[in-house]
Amino acid sequence: MRALVIDDSRAMRRIVSRQLEGLGFTVDEAGDGAQALELLEAGAGHHLACVDWNMPVMDGLAFVKAVRARPEWRDVTLMMVTTESEHDQIVRALAAGAHEYLIKPFTPDALRGKLELLGLVPAGEIA
Amino acid sequence: MTETMGDHVVAIAQDLFSAMVDGEPGHLAEGPGHPSPLSEPVRAWVDIRGERPLRTLVATGRDTADRITRALLDLEPREDVATADVRDALGEIANVIGGNVKGLLPEHPALSLPVVVFGGSAPDGVPLWTRSLQWHDEALVVSMWDVPVNQEEYL
Repeated sequence: MRALVIDDSRAMRRIVSRQLEGLGFTVDEAGDGAQALELLEAGAGHHLACVDWNMPVMDGLAFVKAVRARPEWRDVTLMMVTTESEHDQIVRALAAGAHEYLIKPFTPDALRGKLELLGLVPAGEIA
Repeated sequence: MTETMGDHVVAIAQDLFSAMVDGEPGHLAEGPGHPSPLSEPVRAWVDIRGERPLRTLVATGRDTADRITRALLDLEPREDVATADVRDALGEIANVIGGNVKGLLPEHPALSLPVVVFGGSAPDGVPLWTRSLQWHDEALVVSMWDVPVNQEEYL
């Protein structure tokens, strides 16, 4: 499985990437939505994108809309990983095409639980 | 904006440090009532847009900021940290706390990107409350401010 972690914070990218690598993912990182689109265009075959909301250049919601506008990327699972916790924002992201939503701060178990729901890691016992 | 909000924010900060900095709870605790002056202060904040703009600010000393950065980036205890990484790490701490505060407030639709400042004094504004915390016995201060009109460039 190959994942794309999109966040303008290097620290947050490293945290999410470490956790995904621990679950067996190969991870690429992007600092904003535009960089992430370039990586998708390169055709590495990403199965999952973890997307921050508030980023410069292209924010997470715009990225989700851009991915969903491309039929060839319909198999990319999109999960927002963000501090945006209001119900309205969650609804906006899901309506735009995100599959799941994880609110920062989160534990490794919370991330794994979302990935289990998405069928991207096998269901297992969470410590 | 009351101490109750301060309690919520302390809880958010404790969740953040437990989940993403320390990997276990218990290392960010309430500190003395009045914060001590910080050595080489590093201040990080985000502004919460709305009818009454608010600022959530996190401040600590440079050595503590370096330690937080090492923890977030999973670096060795004495490994050098770049100023850019400290800026990024403290900015993300402020972003996560501010984003969760925004979720508690009605009519505050957007969050600014983080601003991080090394040294100097606090930005202009009216402090609404300040909570003095200790992370591994080092001072860390979280506060909320009314944002003055002349600070709009940060919004």
